[in-house]
Amino acid sequence: MNGNRVGTAYALTTFARILPGKADELEGYLGSMPKGPESPFARLGMLHIARVQIFRALVHQGPLQKHTDTLQNAHLVFTSTIDGDLDPYLNALAEHVPEADEWWGRCAGYPGRTDVAVFRAWVRDRQVDTGLFQSAIPTASVGDVREALALREDVLDFAVAAQGLDAATLQQRFRSTF
Amino acid sequence: MTGLTLFTPIRRQWVWMLAVGFPLTRHLPFMRRHILQFNFIKFVRWTIVRELDGERLHYPYLFFESNFDGPWQHYIDAFAYVIPTDIRVTWGRGPGFPAPPPAEPLKAWIAQNSMEGGTYYCAHAEDSTRMVKSALVVRERFDELRRTAAVLGPEEFKAEWERFLSENQAHL
Repeated sequence: MNGNRVGTAYALTTFARILPGKADELEGYLGSMPKGPESPFARLGMLHIARVQIFRALVHQGPLQKHTDTLQNAHLVFTSTIDGDLDPYLNALAEHVPEADEWWGRCAGYPGRTDVAVFRAWVRDRQVDTGLFQSAIPTASVGDVREALALREDVLDFAVAAQGLDAATLQQRFRSTF
Repeated sequence: MTGLTLFTPIRRQWVWMLAVGFPLTRHLPFMRRHILQFNFIKFVRWTIVRELDGERLHYPYLFFESNFDGPWQHYIDAFAYVIPTDIRVTWGRGPGFPAPPPAEPLKAWIAQNSMEGGTYYCAHAEDSTRMVKSALVVRERFDELRRTAAVLGPEEFKAEWERFLSENQAHL
């Protein structure tokens, strides 16, 4: 069993070295990215969750940590939780999210998105396989989730409106509503 | 929806335990249920990072990312008091880990190790894990009702509708 996958959900974890002198502007760019429905990630129908972060140092854990790890570079962590396979996601990322050039373009060796196969290979080279991945909704796509939430609201509204109806009217309204 | 990311060292002599334990957990349904017993967790992952490009590290690192409802302080209270052994077995492989309970030293440790900033996106950020799971249950059962309704008379349908509401009231 692949640790990156549970059900139809897939966890992508990547680390990329940020080029010298680029961390500040990259941090500023990430901090200014639109959120919610305006986020560039909202263009990707298979994407549940994405996170892009920078780290410049590793936290020393106190006197019980014998050695100190001092980073020579800043690094970019890019993670995604998607429904489906990795390649279609990376293809969609390359096609619909030019903003990827902003974060990975400041990382070492980034080839750009022009050649999608090269782009995919570069991201995969930076992937670290997940040891353990768990999902509360392992087989639900984003579309499933949205459809189910909308249906639940419709059912609730119908239940409230249908209180006290006789059987024939209830069935007729049900058929016309759903 | 909140995203929590931790990146913490693992003592080299204990990496094997996590390297064996994570795949083992994937194959044990009761362990999977154990992890997801908290109905506020949507997605959670643990990744052992043995190297970073351009770095010489003394330790491998444990990358942890969790996506859950509400502030992480509530989440950690539940973790610290309900599954302290799991927490100790996992993060106790690193130096200086404050084994819970109590929860407060653990919260301080998480605040110290949490990776902040960047950008975060969730396609259903406004909908809690419980709400999403309930909606998926309702959809599945409603599809059954819809199929059944097509062949029932009015009185039978009314009885089915009322049974549907009664059986799914916890999800509506």
